[in-house]
Amino acid sequence: MKKLLGIIAAILLASVVLTACSGDEEKEVTVGAKNFTEQFLLAKMSQMLLEDEGFVVDMKDNLGSSALRQALENGQVQVTWDYTGTGLVTYNGEEPIADEQEAYAKIQEVDAENGITWTNISDVNNTYTLVMRSEQANDLGIASISDLADYVNANPGELRMATDAEFANRADGLPGIYETYGFEFGDEQISEMSYGLNYDAIHNEEVDVAVGFATDSRIREYDLVNLEDDQKFFPSYSAAVSMLTETYEEYPEIEEILKPLAEGLDSETMRELNYLVDVEENSVEDIAREFLIENGYMEE
Amino acid sequence: MDKKKLIALIVKALFWIFIIAFFWWVFSNQMFSKIVENPDKFLSLLQQHLTLVGISAGIAILTAFPLGVLITRPRFRKSEWWIVNIANLGQTIPSLAVLALAMGFLGIGIKAAIVALYIYSLLPILQNTIAGLDSVDPAAKDAAKGMGLTPIQILLKIELPSAAYSIIAGIRTAVILNIGTAALAYLIGGGGLGVWIFTGIQLFDNSFLISGAVPVTILAVLVDYIFRGIQFLLVPKGLRLARAAAIDSI
Repeated sequence: MKKLLGIIAAILLASVVLTACSGDEEKEVTVGAKNFTEQFLLAKMSQMLLEDEGFVVDMKDNLGSSALRQALENGQVQVTWDYTGTGLVTYNGEEPIADEQEAYAKIQEVDAENGITWTNISDVNNTYTLVMRSEQANDLGIASISDLADYVNANPGELRMATDAEFANRADGLPGIYETYGFEFGDEQISEMSYGLNYDAIHNEEVDVAVGFATDSRIREYDLVNLEDDQKFFPSYSAAVSMLTETYEEYPEIEEILKPLAEGLDSETMRELNYLVDVEENSVEDIAREFLIENGYMEE
Repeated sequence: MDKKKLIALIVKALFWIFIIAFFWWVFSNQMFSKIVENPDKFLSLLQQHLTLVGISAGIAILTAFPLGVLITRPRFRKSEWWIVNIANLGQTIPSLAVLALAMGFLGIGIKAAIVALYIYSLLPILQNTIAGLDSVDPAAKDAAKGMGLTPIQILLKIELPSAAYSIIAGIRTAVILNIGTAALAYLIGGGGLGVWIFTGIQLFDNSFLISGAVPVTILAVLVDYIFRGIQFLLVPKGLRLARAAAIDSI
């Protein structure tokens, strides 16, 4: 018994010493991601690039926007991809800004005070959108959100909508749409569900309108149309790296490592990658690796 | 004995202090604001939640209990193994996966959620019914037989009353688990108070979280008490005394 205890103590001691030693050399970061495919892809690609440069990367994914942001502020997550519009409106209560560069400059300025640094803005603009089935939208003569507002006001209680809980309650989500366009769905008409299932719901004609992301491949797959945001309500949601300023200062190389990714991605490419995962059912890991290797960002 | 009682008393007191502190914190931070601001929405979510639980648990009781009785009849004894294992299967698959599977053939919405919750509630009721009936003293059954009672009479007068405690305990477990699990129905558009719980998680907004989660908890506690009451009424007095004596002597 004594011997056994001795062995256990030795192992414990050894592991403590080992981790203590290795801790000095290893560059460790935690990459976070929200709960949809594009985020999984961005986080996975960042993880691969960072690991390629000798970082030990921990992953915390599948978080809601605000949970991820909270984790970033707490330092539980150090590097994330986030969207300028979300940063301004949801996290900081600022007015939405439609211009991409302006929004980026503004969020850099505002978040600097929160100890968060934004870098590597990309051409991926993943703005929210309302979608309908092409056929029904044509039949009802709805092409823009204003048309939808007119229709709903004229026929209250007829159209049903699917949304996730986040969009249903965000200032730059449904409440803002209601206010800007002057219409409202009744509680009875709204089905709240996990994001992603709303595409199935609209495809199966269980609802008539659904919230979507502009870069989501299922919009094309299910023959849906983006309703035009004719009042320019949705701000610009450029994907950019948002990280803890502390981490940014400790490892300035992260910006350089993730640069090719930010420069190589645009909305079209992103939609294609999302398509490969969501519709063709490839794994996030495979698609991320292929993309990085094909574009020469990473060796085999 | 006294020491035990003292410890039990202290634990109870701590528990209540914790509960009171929690509610004090909740009220002083206006965590129930969503319920106050939007009572209609709250009532409709609550109603959806009750519908989810009521229908799924109701059908589960109506199928699992008779099935349990049937399986314990000598003629159907052989089928016990596979029926219990099918029910087991429903329980071992994570509740989220059951939801996803149900959604696969029923689409999105409350129907799929009810089916998933139904599957999830079967096992505790079935197993406790079987265990309860199996634990009935064979001597009592023999005596009843000797008195000339028919098998149906034996079931109704001897077996079910003796097994009532266990059977109701199974139903209680199933319903209480069901109330908590029903919060997941949001994920597939099934509604219920889970909508606010998940909104709270996604937006990191505690007032949503509390406005959704606390009513679910209170609901579970209430239902627990109701079933305890039913248990008290249905379990024969003699058995109740025997059980109390048994618990006391532990």
